[in-house]
Amino acid sequence: MKSDRFEPARIRELGERAGALLSSAPDLDALEEARVRLLGRKGEITELLRSIGQLDPVDRPVIGNLINEIKDKLNKLLEERRAVLSAGLYDEEPYPGDPTLPGRGSWAGGLHVLHRVVDDIKQILYGMGYSLAEGPDVELDYYNFEALNFPPDHPSRDLQDTFYINRDILLRTQTSPVQVRYMEKHTPPLKILAPGRVYRNESPDPSHAAEFLQIEGLYVDSDVSLADLKNDVTHFVHEFFGSDARVRFRPHFFPFTEPSAEVDMSCFSCKGQGCAVCGKTGWLEIMGAGMVHPHVFRYAGYDPDSYTGFAFGMGVDRIAMLKHGIDDIRRFLANDLRFLRQFWMESRAEVYE
Amino acid sequence: MKANLNWLKRYVDIEESAETLANDLTMFGLNVEEYHARAAPFNGVVFGVVREVQKHPRADRLSLCVVDVGGPEPLRIVCGASNVRAGLNVAVALHGAVLAGGLEIKRTKIRGEVSEGMICSEIELGIGDDAGGIIELDFTEPLGTPLDNRLGGGDVMFDIEITPNRPDLLSLTGIAREIAALYRRELRSPPRRTLEPGSGCTLEIENFADCPRYAAAFIDNVTIAPSPDWMQELLAAVGVKPINNIVDVTNFVLMEMGQPLHAFDRDRLRRDTIVVRRARSGESLVTLDDVVRELTPDMLVIADAERSVALAGMMGGRDTEVTGGTKRVLLESAMFEPRLVRSARIGLKLETEASYRFEREADIGVMQEALERACFLIEEIGAGKPSSFVVDRMAENAPTHGRAIPLRVDQANRVMGTRLAADEVAQLLERLGLGTSIMEDIVQVSVPAFRRDIKEEIDLIEEAARVYGYEKIGLDEEPRCTVYSSASPISSRNENICQYLCARGFAEVITTSFMDPDDPARMEWPASDPRSAPLPVSNPLTAGQSVLRTSLLPGLLGVVKRNAPDEHEGLRIFEMGKVFLKENGGGGLPREELHLTALFARDAQPVQWLVEKRPFDFFDMKGELEALIDQFGVAAGLSQERKEGAPGYIFNWISVNGVLAEGGLLARSIASRYDIEDPIYYFDLVLDVLPAKGGIKLGFSAISQYPAVKRDLCVVAPDRTTFADIHTCIAGQAKNLESIKMFDYYRGGHLGEGKRSYTFRLNFRSSRATLDDQAVDKEINAILAALQRELQVTLRS
Repeated sequence: MKSDRFEPARIRELGERAGALLSSAPDLDALEEARVRLLGRKGEITELLRSIGQLDPVDRPVIGNLINEIKDKLNKLLEERRAVLSAGLYDEEPYPGDPTLPGRGSWAGGLHVLHRVVDDIKQILYGMGYSLAEGPDVELDYYNFEALNFPPDHPSRDLQDTFYINRDILLRTQTSPVQVRYMEKHTPPLKILAPGRVYRNESPDPSHAAEFLQIEGLYVDSDVSLADLKNDVTHFVHEFFGSDARVRFRPHFFPFTEPSAEVDMSCFSCKGQGCAVCGKTGWLEIMGAGMVHPHVFRYAGYDPDSYTGFAFGMGVDRIAMLKHGIDDIRRFLANDLRFLRQFWMESRAEVYE
Repeated sequence: MKANLNWLKRYVDIEESAETLANDLTMFGLNVEEYHARAAPFNGVVFGVVREVQKHPRADRLSLCVVDVGGPEPLRIVCGASNVRAGLNVAVALHGAVLAGGLEIKRTKIRGEVSEGMICSEIELGIGDDAGGIIELDFTEPLGTPLDNRLGGGDVMFDIEITPNRPDLLSLTGIAREIAALYRRELRSPPRRTLEPGSGCTLEIENFADCPRYAAAFIDNVTIAPSPDWMQELLAAVGVKPINNIVDVTNFVLMEMGQPLHAFDRDRLRRDTIVVRRARSGESLVTLDDVVRELTPDMLVIADAERSVALAGMMGGRDTEVTGGTKRVLLESAMFEPRLVRSARIGLKLETEASYRFEREADIGVMQEALERACFLIEEIGAGKPSSFVVDRMAENAPTHGRAIPLRVDQANRVMGTRLAADEVAQLLERLGLGTSIMEDIVQVSVPAFRRDIKEEIDLIEEAARVYGYEKIGLDEEPRCTVYSSASPISSRNENICQYLCARGFAEVITTSFMDPDDPARMEWPASDPRSAPLPVSNPLTAGQSVLRTSLLPGLLGVVKRNAPDEHEGLRIFEMGKVFLKENGGGGLPREELHLTALFARDAQPVQWLVEKRPFDFFDMKGELEALIDQFGVAAGLSQERKEGAPGYIFNWISVNGVLAEGGLLARSIASRYDIEDPIYYFDLVLDVLPAKGGIKLGFSAISQYPAVKRDLCVVAPDRTTFADIHTCIAGQAKNLESIKMFDYYRGGHLGEGKRSYTFRLNFRSSRATLDDQAVDKEINAILAALQRELQVTLRS
């Protein structure tokens, strides 16, 4: 009996359906499933070929050829599809079931936020021609005060509460002693920056710490002027805080510079309108500066008529607090990793931006 | 320094708003830290309007007024002022109001007529001197508006930061003088009563070096009473408590002129004598604050013929103070050596308005003027009758007339970066009250005595720059840079180490430079260890921060404690910082050594899938340390040695330059003293020992073009044999051995007691030819033979 399923048209139809199934298999598993269904031991095509004996022997070669032709075509399609689906995969690697699984890694680390701020400041100053100079934390009274024109027993010493080791040795209250130490060993022109830790004997509160970081700049040459100081400091502030920051210099007093100035920057938070950040003044005090006092030159062994120079100094902790909106200076040395981690990213939108 | 606008206006006209004045003073160098409207000296006073005025039926001078203050019913108020009339806008004190001087207003009857409040004059409100009539307000507010803000007298308080170089600004006239210079206005001097040198008390000055000038004035027929309201009001404004007319005058002059005065009850000065001398040992004095002060010969006192009566420049004595019964007063106006006052202030912990000014150097030119001013005021307020004579002793050559200083115009322009002409510079200085004359390119400046901060040319340049205005200086010049920066290799190496460690997953921390004096004992550092003897600070903040750190470890252990295990399953932290060692570091200073200390606790790896959780161990630490040393270049010769006498499991890493690092497992006893349960591993590297540019020269060597042959070798060793022994032996044998890697280690178990097995991967390669199996076999056999011969190490079957 000649069954309907051996109708050539139906065989061709089966062939086309099977072909479509194979070439549209979305992944290797589906392809394998389709292969088993069509070409496996009990697959539709295999079954059909196996039951060809039911046909009239006259029809067998023609129908047999047709089915074999289709089978070859399907095998070819299967291989093609397998090649497409398995491109880029390794034989032994199982297909990863869930790409949303977390990636593996090692520990995350990063620099302390103060280190980063010091680094940013240093990089800017290096670009402006300043070279690094350093000095000891435990310093002679001579370099910290006397050679910086703080006379012994003078009220100007009360500006800075000092930790003493003994009568002559103290913990430096400023990075300025590096100025004299450096000038003693070098002749102008010179342009240095001196970062370092400084100490003040005052009870800590949210804006005061007994230990903090300072960066000092010093430029001495034959004709350095207050105008040059304004140029350098303004350039620095624009590089560090952005070029829309306004800078103002107010007359002030420091024993080791004259004329002296406090440098204010327009408040980044309110753009100078007055807010809680700047205490409603519109300005933020960011550094002290001035022209090197002739007495300091004399202590360093320079002729004050031959040279002029400027110096400036800033508290890194305060700048870091301003730059990142940090509320309490004591956080820096507390080293809570949940705090430190917030400043590990390479680029972070800063508050003033 | 507190200064209020109303007081300043006595000496200089000020039209500017408080905000403008505050800003201008700040930019002029007088930093206004704060300013605010002064609270009115009254409360309960509101704005009202007089609706009707009738004559009081029983008193000619009084009027009955109907006053609308916005309430449901107008008030009936009896008023005695001649200027009261219907339609007038007035200030009305309501029932319960408190006016200047504490006067309380109550609903009352005046000559039989009800009065429900008071229509006020300036003087009743304490906002002016006009007692002539009620205030006629020329503004209109909603009726009933409280007037304490509108009628605070318009007074504004300024809190001005006065730097230690400007004692002349510690007075109202000093600040007024700056305002006059700032706005180019006239400065009004307060009136004085001229005094002539003449007779008075006996005055002896033991040493003019201690007291360069002492002047005394004398007041007879003293009537002690409260000082007038206007004086009390001004004193209260700047925070001085009114006491009595004589004392208030001395304080008024102190605030006005900056010269401290002291009033003695002259009848209590024995033998009418003043002696300025050092205190004698054993002497004591009861000061005005009722404290018994033990005096020492480094203190200066004012004495009479028998005993000390005041601490010079600081505080008077109880026994000679001006009291209600005082009839004759001696007024002191003097200058004392600043250092003496300073050391007494520090020694006695006693800071007063007077000591603060004397420490900053009194104005030697103003002693007599201050007395003349006080005498004028005493006479004016009827507190007594001043004598016309002053007793005034002064050191010879006392600089009462200031100094002459030449100013080179070129130098001024050079420092400022300006191009000012000589007359322009002179004009700037003249605004400050300095005298000038121009001689070609030099300005001769005569500096008055009160500007004791101006001592040399640079001080004049600063003044010129300040008056010219910092904001006008510069930024138009071509920026120049004649100096180029140079590299600092050590600093960049240290930066690179920090970057490297961060990339290796370390968190950088920064800890305190101080340490607890108990830390050396907690760390079990033996006495021979320099870390056990930290440098003490003589005036520490707290006992726990009273020595300088000799190691970064105590600080890092504090960080471990702070970052608890619940939050952080593993810790990898480091600090790069100085430690301070007592030994001589040159120039009389201790030695400062830069260390890099890293500390590890808890897990070796972050918790994650398919990664086995295991605790950090010694070899994790060792791997980190040695990779770092490799990276930053220490030449061969590194060896490890168990650290002698150290508790825990600690080793030294030694290079040709000495001990480069120590590291290992901290003793449990130490960790537990820092409240830490977890095992702590660390390494501590002395960066000063690490060579700045590394000990290894970087250079190219040819890369072999021939393939490598890999062999794995598993050997069994007796327990006493170390990995290092085997490694050395293998390396010593082979000719073409490129690398040795140990990748499996096993101890005990089925190997039997006292045995260990190591599996090595050996890589052979020649630079001249492809190695064949035969050649490699030959090398392996030689290795095995040597291992057997030298170390009894055998191939594992």
